[in-house]
Amino acid sequence: MKLISEKKPAFPWFGMDIGGTLVKLVYFEPVDITAEEEQEEVENLKSIRRYLTSNVAYGKTGVRDVHLELRNLTMFGRTGNLHFIRFPTQAMPRFIQMGRDKNFSSLHTTLCATGGGAYKFENDFRTMADLELLKLDELDCLIRGLLYVDRVGFNGHPECYYFQNPSDTQSCVKKPCTLDNPFPMLLVNIGSGVSILTVYSENNYKRVTGTSLGGGTFLGLCCLLTGCETFEEALEMASKGDSTNVDKLVKDIYGGDYERFGLQGSAVASSFGHMMSKEKRDSISKEDLARATLVTITNNIGSIARMCAVNEKIERVVFVGNFLRINTVSTKLLAYAMDFWSKGQLRALFLEHEGYFGAVGALMELLKTTEDP
Amino acid sequence: MAFNGHQREDDNSIDEDETPSKQLRSNNETPPGHFRNEPNNEAAAPAGRATSDRRTSNSTTRHRHDSMKKTRPPFPWFGMDIGGTLVKLVYFEPKDITAEEEQEEVENLKSIRRYLTSNTAYGKTGIRDVHLELQDLTLCGRTGNLHFIRFPTHDLPAFLQMGRNKHFSSLHTTLCATGGGAYKFESDFRTMADLQLHKLDELDCLIRGVLYIDSVVSSGLSECYYFENPTDPDRCIQKPYTLENPYPLLLVNIGSGVSILAVYSKNNYKRVTGTSLGGGTFLGLCCLLTGCSTFEEALEMASQGESTRVDKLVRDIYGGDYERFGLPGWAVASSFGNMMSKEKRESVSKEDLARATLVTITNNIGSITRMCALNENIERVVFVGNFLRVNTLSMKLLAYAMEYWSKGQLKALFLRHEGYFGAVGALLELLHPS
Repeated sequence: MKLISEKKPAFPWFGMDIGGTLVKLVYFEPVDITAEEEQEEVENLKSIRRYLTSNVAYGKTGVRDVHLELRNLTMFGRTGNLHFIRFPTQAMPRFIQMGRDKNFSSLHTTLCATGGGAYKFENDFRTMADLELLKLDELDCLIRGLLYVDRVGFNGHPECYYFQNPSDTQSCVKKPCTLDNPFPMLLVNIGSGVSILTVYSENNYKRVTGTSLGGGTFLGLCCLLTGCETFEEALEMASKGDSTNVDKLVKDIYGGDYERFGLQGSAVASSFGHMMSKEKRDSISKEDLARATLVTITNNIGSIARMCAVNEKIERVVFVGNFLRINTVSTKLLAYAMDFWSKGQLRALFLEHEGYFGAVGALMELLKTTEDP
Repeated sequence: MAFNGHQREDDNSIDEDETPSKQLRSNNETPPGHFRNEPNNEAAAPAGRATSDRRTSNSTTRHRHDSMKKTRPPFPWFGMDIGGTLVKLVYFEPKDITAEEEQEEVENLKSIRRYLTSNTAYGKTGIRDVHLELQDLTLCGRTGNLHFIRFPTHDLPAFLQMGRNKHFSSLHTTLCATGGGAYKFESDFRTMADLQLHKLDELDCLIRGVLYIDSVVSSGLSECYYFENPTDPDRCIQKPYTLENPYPLLLVNIGSGVSILAVYSKNNYKRVTGTSLGGGTFLGLCCLLTGCSTFEEALEMASQGESTRVDKLVRDIYGGDYERFGLPGWAVASSFGNMMSKEKRESVSKEDLARATLVTITNNIGSITRMCALNENIERVVFVGNFLRVNTLSMKLLAYAMEYWSKGQLKALFLRHEGYFGAVGALLELLHPS
């Protein structure tokens, strides 16, 4: 249904999620521009479009996740590609500067922004680039964006997936699924910190709880313990380490399983528990420490998520957020933990666009769109 | 359980031969000062009904207890809890030894008693917590002092060696032990010291120990307490709390790791959940981050640090409160979240890191506990375990967190004998096998 009579918002169409660690930006690149429209297009708008779509890296730290691009999407009667861009929140001043240099404010576009930074940087946008933000709640946007992307699909493929046989490293395999009849759903958003939501319908949800031990904790602790500097480095180290050298397991305390309460010898009794011994500290590697940090944070989130799922009586737990970006160790661990500790009652689900749903939700607020098939 | 006040040969009840609990106070003739001024509390201790033939525990009436001799185990009386980090040992020192008994006493038993009671430190790492000693306790018809001793599990081999050197096995006493180490070191006890352990479940012993100690602790020094105004350094005080009608109770045992139990009655409890982020995590991470080596050092550093330099707060992300969901700006959004920035890493001190580690671990336990309390519909939460030993910082944090996030619904309670309840429970099993 083309909403030709509706007044469309002016290009460019952006959705922005300014988080504690990363800024997530989605940009809609129209591909159905008529010759007439092209002629009328103002210079800075054209320049913005070209800059964003002909680069995959911006400055020193901006990245466009090309593999996530949604092609030939119809939004609000226009056809185009949806691009997914991220950069560290620390680089925000530079971004605002760029907005000023490109005279963004002259385009009279509304900039829909969510995340804590939409509040924190509101004044900076105004004073430095003469831009007015339309501030939106991050959890509202998260849910809206998630349901939208799942509905439109990922270039013909499912957005959602899970792991089959998560407890078996040999036969553990990624399988697609769809979120039809998604409600109720437990949504676990793992960013710098973690929020856990029970979603009953698109407009009815509650924030059950949260934990401050999130992605920021993993990265912060890794930097301190191993000397690494980036998320990618930390994950690289973790992939090579052995956390059982660092953690005290049930078998280290019991000599085997703690049968009475069903705790296997291989379960972690005390994370980092071996590290009180100088001897052990001297014998482990940075990779072991990175792995232990990853495992500790991930399992803690899994444990809390499981408690919430049980109490809210929900069987499907959807994990999103950029902590899971390129982080198969954690996704598999979460899949395993949900399955194992619930004896198969709970299932962990994941989404390909991980940490971008807030930004998508913000874009949708701009458009208040119903998608075309 | 009905008591008729009479003593039977095979009577395993501990009422008449134990230090009377609060319940019997109105009827006994024991001098004041020994018992708490508390109303009857059936649930707290399995004590019998007070009757006129109530026995007191002075030596002239000891002969009446000799009929218990058959079921009374030989000295020494120990209870042992071999945990992931520490071994907790409780030792009952009899004070009512007659001249005859003393004469008959074998040499090594005497030497053990003297060694334990005339020292407060053993070897390099053993410590007797004198301030926790319970005096004039009556157990199984004998009167004496209960001592609380601890040493690192790491030094168990030295302990076993000592047991062998003192010919402990010749005393033919049963050694009741709980904790994971009772299983892990069972064969070491056998091969190195010829000692047979009677293994007990740690959570059974924990609960038994908690209920017992709370019921017998003398007046003036309540076993159970809470904090009033936990975040106000000027007004924060410890206040005694009565654990009468304690059920249901949420018991959070913070050792190397954490177990959370819902206790419905003396014999009915379940392990709700646990977390591997416990005392061992705090100490392990602190050693790595600050270079410290002991729990005491780590706490000392933490007391001087500022965790808000290390953690990313809600206000660091929002510029203020996250009002929509009631998150104040001072709440931690991401623990250690500032540490991904090189600049910030260089600007924090070891003390700040120690503090952040303490706060992170403590708040995580508090958060998980709160979820459990909510789901189990329990309002009283008792925190025990040696993570809280000399750790007022964590206790106050827990007290505050429970109250704040539950809007006053939950109350955090603490017990003075913190990490020793498992060992006490093991001792009780020795004296009164269930």
